Amino acid sequence: MKLAIVVQRYGADINGGAELHARYVAEHLSRHANVEVLTTCARDYVTWRDEYPSGVEQVNGVAVRRFSVDHERDVKTFARLSEHVFGQEHSYLDELKWLDAEGPKSTPLLSHARSARASYDYVLFFSYRYYHAYHGVRAVPSRAILVPTAERDEAIGLAISPRIFRGARALMYNSPEERRLIEAVSNNHHVPGVVVGVGSEIPERPQGERFRQKYAITGRFALYVGRIDQNKGCNELFSFFLNGLQALPRGLRLVLIGKEIVPIPDHPRILHLGFLDDQDKFDALAAADLLLMPSYYESLSMVALEAWAMGKPVLANGRCEVLRGQCIRSKAGLYYETQAEFIETLRAIAESRGLNGALGANGRCFFQQHYSWPVIEHKYLDMLAQLKESDRVDGAAHRPNAARNAAIEPEPGFFGRRRRTFRPAADVLAELPSGPVLN
Amino acid sequence: MADFNIRTDAVDVEQIMRQIRARIQEKRGVDYTEEQIQELAGVKLERFLDPKGVRSDLVQQFKQARDRKSDPFQPQLYSIDANDLYGSGRGVVRIVRKVLNPILKLFLNANRLVQVLHQQTEINALYEQQFHLLREKSQQRDEIDVLYYELVHNLVLELTRVGIEHRNVKMRLESLSSRMDFDERRARALEGVVQYRPDTGPARDATAPQPQARPASQPALPQQVPAQDTHAQPGSVPDEQAAESSTTRRRRRRRRGRRGGRGRMPGDTATPETAEASSPENSATPPHGDPTASAALEANAGEADFDADSGEDEGPDPSAQ
Repeated sequence: MKLAIVVQRYGADINGGAELHARYVAEHLSRHANVEVLTTCARDYVTWRDEYPSGVEQVNGVAVRRFSVDHERDVKTFARLSEHVFGQEHSYLDELKWLDAEGPKSTPLLSHARSARASYDYVLFFSYRYYHAYHGVRAVPSRAILVPTAERDEAIGLAISPRIFRGARALMYNSPEERRLIEAVSNNHHVPGVVVGVGSEIPERPQGERFRQKYAITGRFALYVGRIDQNKGCNELFSFFLNGLQALPRGLRLVLIGKEIVPIPDHPRILHLGFLDDQDKFDALAAADLLLMPSYYESLSMVALEAWAMGKPVLANGRCEVLRGQCIRSKAGLYYETQAEFIETLRAIAESRGLNGALGANGRCFFQQHYSWPVIEHKYLDMLAQLKESDRVDGAAHRPNAARNAAIEPEPGFFGRRRRTFRPAADVLAELPSGPVLN
Repeated sequence: MADFNIRTDAVDVEQIMRQIRARIQEKRGVDYTEEQIQELAGVKLERFLDPKGVRSDLVQQFKQARDRKSDPFQPQLYSIDANDLYGSGRGVVRIVRKVLNPILKLFLNANRLVQVLHQQTEINALYEQQFHLLREKSQQRDEIDVLYYELVHNLVLELTRVGIEHRNVKMRLESLSSRMDFDERRARALEGVVQYRPDTGPARDATAPQPQARPASQPALPQQVPAQDTHAQPGSVPDEQAAESSTTRRRRRRRRGRRGGRGRMPGDTATPETAEASSPENSATPPHGDPTASAALEANAGEADFDADSGEDEGPDPSAQ
């Protein structure tokens, strides 16, 4: 079986959520199938500037075919179009322009996917909201498997989004909340789908003491791993932590790992270590009392899964329905929404060894049951086998791809594209169901 | 904070969150957001403006009065003199009127008419000046009204905050009061169990050397201490037995003496971490074999299943600022 994985960026040094997700899946599926990654030459997710050379290279044993992007992102145009389609009545053409402006637009990549589609059994598209996913699914609908990595943001309320949710052969969801969101917006119950998520490479023996010695950290600490950005809820985290210092457990520090985007308060109990490699990251998780996840929007928090894999409890932002749902389902984390809840939950986890241990043990069990690599691989292979069987039945009935191609809804015509009949995406999003999925 | 003693399979995160929220509510009252405070203050503002319901539409009228804008009075000013009476844009007419002016004076006193009209002009100017002053005063009043409204609004907002804070402080005071009662009852209970015996007096206790750090392997529960006395072998030397018994009793009294200050709350659950702290040297928990102390503790059981305020007992964190 030959698979193609299409993703906006790809590289061993790229740590974005969906990109890392794609790399892990590619590397693990390559043990069961011939996998080729189709991606752009971009490294920077803001500009999509070509930085990698185009052509074929090997990354961790996986063939990666890179294509140049047509243009870099014009941030002002993208912001203006985003404001328009998210907040005002607009046309289908406006949404296509928005998709183009968002990028990374790579016509050669799509041409290759279209021309070489016969050489791939299935094509996995990552991140529904990008140019390659929308046009790629439309280019190879009979072979397209979508890994949407959808979050609760306005893009899902656009009119172009439900079309590819309904048009793909199958969807690999990250969480039950994501599945509910997509099914509600697109009514794609007929499309096969499974909640998969992604595993993580957990080292055999992470050493917390090594981390403590290396960075001269003593005492207990809560750990945050990720981009230190306002969008990740870091400002609120700093505010809650500093405002609640007097009530927090004595000596508990906040250790931050990741690239600094917003200023970090200068305080002796807040320690920023910058970007660390995987060994240091896992050592830090081993040494930490708990992991903090202050993000408002997540489709799946890989670092939370890694913390659970290592038996560490997670304190998450309760306003992120995915994280909240994961905490409840896993029984491995608490969540907060207000300052007072932040303090009390942090105290409960940090001071109560019984609770800390129970949550951690549940997290390890939850990870093993749902997110260990054998489980993830099994779900992917099951889905591929299911599609293969469906294709075989269709082939026997002499209707190989015609039915699938017909299932893709055609785009509106010349006048239909220009008619401003689509509601603001924010309004659509507001009507979608929210909250954690508990069953 | 006391421990959540939970089995891994019995963890219910939602239940824990409900428990934590209940605790927050218990400690701080309802945790209002800024929007809720604004809304609450808005409701209170209406009550404040209309305390007895005398005028149910007072608030609306007050707001309408603030929003009502009257058009500024602009009187049309004019002045009249001889030129206005006899002048004209057309030169011929003007010349004819001038020629015929002596004839006109035969019929009426035009000068007097001009004089009166001139006085009226001056009066109009005076009125206009006064209207201007009134308009300025009105504008100032409008601005003051806005400030006044803002002031009242902010006062009510602060009053709401203070009310909430007052309620929270009151609840905290009640909590501290119940703790103090508990401590007093425990102190009385501990005082009641102290029994002086003839062979151990205050003087001997005072001169007795303080024990060195006790080995960790030594029994932690004080109820095991008398057992050492009762398990003394009959064949042992009586002096040694007496000395050992006396030393044990002295040690027990010293332990009781040290258990006076801070300690765990009754609902605290022992954990592996707290096991070390529950040793007599470190813990203020009364001995399990002490029925009086146990009774005192049981009487106060249920105050809290875990102590959410233990951090406050230890005083503010010096690094907090």
